[in-house]
Amino acid sequence: MTAINTDFGKDLSKYGAFDFNACYNCGTCTAVCTLSTEEDSFPREMQRFSVLGLEDDLKGSLKPWLCYYCGQCTTYCPQNANPGELMMSLRRWLISVYDWTGLSGLLYKSLPATTAGMILIAAVVLFYSFSVDFDLSRIMHTGHTFEIIAIVGVFSIILLPNLIRMWWFIILKPRIQVPVINYLKALWDLIVHMFTQKRALGCDDNELRWFEHFILVLGYLGLLFTTVFLNWFSSDSVFVIVMGYIVSIIVFTVTLIFVYDRIRKKDEISKYSQPSDWLFIIWLTAMGLSAFIVRLFIDTGLLENNKWLYLVHLIILAQWALIIVPFGKWTHFLYRSFAMYFHRVIS
Amino acid sequence: MKKKLGVYICHCGGNISDYIDVEKVRAAIENEEGVFLAKTTMFACSDATQKEMVQDIETNDLDGLVVASCSPKLHLITFRAVTERAQLNKYNYVHANIREQGSWAHSDDKEGATEKAVQLVKAAVAKVRLSKSLEPIKIPSKKAVVIIGAGIAGMRAAIELAHMGCPVTLIERDHFTGGRVAQWDILFTSDQTGREIVSRLYNEINNSKNITLLTGAEVISNKGSIGNFRLQVKIKPRYIKDHFDDDKLKKVIAVCPVEVPDEYNFNVTNRKAIYQNPGQYPKYPVIDIKNCTRCGECEKVCDNIDFSLKEEVIEVEAGSILVATGFDPYIPQDGEFGYNEIDNVITLPQFKRLIDLCHNDLLFNGKAIKSIAYIYCVGSRQSEGENKYCSRYCCTSAIHTSIQVKKNFKNVKNFHFTRGIRTYGKQELLYYESQKDGDIYLQSYEENPLMVSTENGKICVKINDILTGNREISVEPDLVVLVTGIVPRSDTSISQIFKLPGGRDRFFNEIHPKLRPVETVIDGITIAGTCQGPKNVTESLNSGLSAATKSFSLVNKGELELEPIIAEIDKNKCTWCGECEKACPFDAIRMVKQGDKDVAAINNSVCKGCGMCLPVCPVNAINLISYSDKEIESMIDSLAGKG
Repeated sequence: MTAINTDFGKDLSKYGAFDFNACYNCGTCTAVCTLSTEEDSFPREMQRFSVLGLEDDLKGSLKPWLCYYCGQCTTYCPQNANPGELMMSLRRWLISVYDWTGLSGLLYKSLPATTAGMILIAAVVLFYSFSVDFDLSRIMHTGHTFEIIAIVGVFSIILLPNLIRMWWFIILKPRIQVPVINYLKALWDLIVHMFTQKRALGCDDNELRWFEHFILVLGYLGLLFTTVFLNWFSSDSVFVIVMGYIVSIIVFTVTLIFVYDRIRKKDEISKYSQPSDWLFIIWLTAMGLSAFIVRLFIDTGLLENNKWLYLVHLIILAQWALIIVPFGKWTHFLYRSFAMYFHRVIS
Repeated sequence: MKKKLGVYICHCGGNISDYIDVEKVRAAIENEEGVFLAKTTMFACSDATQKEMVQDIETNDLDGLVVASCSPKLHLITFRAVTERAQLNKYNYVHANIREQGSWAHSDDKEGATEKAVQLVKAAVAKVRLSKSLEPIKIPSKKAVVIIGAGIAGMRAAIELAHMGCPVTLIERDHFTGGRVAQWDILFTSDQTGREIVSRLYNEINNSKNITLLTGAEVISNKGSIGNFRLQVKIKPRYIKDHFDDDKLKKVIAVCPVEVPDEYNFNVTNRKAIYQNPGQYPKYPVIDIKNCTRCGECEKVCDNIDFSLKEEVIEVEAGSILVATGFDPYIPQDGEFGYNEIDNVITLPQFKRLIDLCHNDLLFNGKAIKSIAYIYCVGSRQSEGENKYCSRYCCTSAIHTSIQVKKNFKNVKNFHFTRGIRTYGKQELLYYESQKDGDIYLQSYEENPLMVSTENGKICVKINDILTGNREISVEPDLVVLVTGIVPRSDTSISQIFKLPGGRDRFFNEIHPKLRPVETVIDGITIAGTCQGPKNVTESLNSGLSAATKSFSLVNKGELELEPIIAEIDKNKCTWCGECEKACPFDAIRMVKQGDKDVAAINNSVCKGCGMCLPVCPVNAINLISYSDKEIESMIDSLAGKG
């Protein structure tokens, strides 16, 4: 027996969902969805669970991650109940559910808290720079060390435990019996989905968007690799330098297209933007663009007289690494891939 | 005996001629006695053929017409009109049905169908040979209408009739007008209260010279029929003389020691033996004499009380009667969803009164109500029993009420346990508003009903929600509201007095739901509002206006033309045994004195010519005009091949 929790809806609306109560369960959304199947039918069921506030069912569901937001459900909804944005909000909510620190929920729901965090990080970077008398080579060295520590730290302290929590909600808590071999068999799916997001091709007319997203992911990973492991800013290798330019251009160009789409609000997917969405794409643009200009200034010998430029880049990087990656929208990169992984493990 | 008959045999496109050899039929009857002209035609009902028939009758001076075609239900009136256009009395037309009774019934046997068609047409020819010209019966009709029931349908009908210049007597059994609507607060879609609507209607009635309003009045018998109904009406006194002011009324009510459940509030509260409800008209208190103990306290503070007033019986005459007696709300059985067994389970009408009576906080039995479960279709759409129908108003009313509750009181949660919402038409907007506002809707099927129980002193409603994959879902509400439907009045006196038939659902029946929606099989009696079946306010007023127009058409000319095909009594043969009176379904036969002999007499304005009285007469003293023994026997002879 399940009890109704009407307060859940109020909480969910803080993650961006609205008007989902207007649903009269006709099922049009599920019928038009090209990704919904008989075994995994959505979004109507998710809509219904949200209206009734069946939190445990939602926490253990992979369905929000199986949706890649083409927006057809919202277009055809006769009640304007906006199932597409509900699924998006459920993903935001799930990110906060998986996060053991509770900071994800706080940052999603509270713009002031997010702003305060960003300012604090900027202040720490500036304070450190001041403490070393704005010695550029020391700052750049520290910046590079910070990158490595941040990657290792965020992954081991935040993301890995969160993935284990996700595993617990999806498989352990509902006591789903899974043979261990399944975990090995499904690994290939994990890699494929992580690097290709091929499920998104199942959405109608989504080829262009999938391609943009695909090269953005490759560009982003490339930039990460070039700056952190090949130490782009200090490298003399022509190959590394050119590669850094290419991947940084990819990152800020594609994200600029996404920013433009969200301003234009033409497609369902870009109509409703939460602060977390803006933060994610603007910081990604800024990171690609600032990295590009920093290297350009190095190559033209202008950086020594424009130290502020590297400071700006470092602030953006620190904010990205300490807020957006562990607690923000960045995590969808991991959860989506692992959702597909767990989905394969179960089935 | 007629000698110049015209016969037309219709192909009906191919509906008839694909199976019946119409040329063979024509050949078989063209030499029948009296047949002057026999033709086949592609469509007898077409304009061209009708014109041809008129011309044939006029040029050949035909004295009878037969058309062999479809069912008389479809085209009897069409071809009667043809004869009238050709100056031939329309009762010299006889219809032979060779489609429904021929080609369609025997499509597997073409020869047999043709043979049957020949016999049917011969029988029609035999009948028309003996047919007589008839004139409609004319009876005077009193230009006055009685309306029974002063709810909104009856009140609106009265106003309309009065506007058309027709005197109206509006008879209300209760001491106050307005019926159910007077009990309601704000209504959808006009946002006016039921009381406002009733007060507007009442003021118009009060200002109309053509309307006589009788309250506390009950029809006890009827002596007449269409054109001249004569009703005996019993009028109960209020035991109050002259009007008096509100202050005095408050004093009188305060001193009355009697307390009884207040039916105006569906027994949610009590009232005194002297009462006057705020929204009801006339604004004139009444003493409930059944419950009054005659203690005399009221007389001490008010000299307007007069217990010497007596019941009186008056006679009211009218040409037509409009019945608008309304409905009873369904009262759940004990234990039906916890009704009368679990505290805080009430009906929707009770709840509507409750929220009207509560001001700042929603309280029931002294407890604050913060969450409400509405259980729909209680007493409606039941597969077992008589209430199989949907009561139409309740989905909208429950949703509207739940929205009002949220508007009037803070932090109230609504849970709707439905069997599928039916907020048809513009009412759908209300459903949308309610859902958007966060009301929760759950749904189950009748065969898997929800359960209301108490657990640890709290009410628990459990449902296998089909919208959540049949999952068992529970709510612990503070109050359960049973959304009860509409049932026919338990008091059947009106149907007994007028022999008004009801349908299977026991509501009054119209003649035809689409074509004659406000007429009954009793001539001169129309029906309006919820006595006919579930309706909302708008629909009740629509039918009230419609019935007013129909009743007006019966009395307006002061004279009525009725079908002359009725029974007639041979008073010489009749020995009055009373069998015919018993057999008559329309109460059209009475015993009269002829000299010193008792004989039967037909009330021409009531007889429908059904023929039920004919076979029961032991001395064969009854003749049905246009269906005399001679005519019927000649038809039988033709059918049997003896003709």
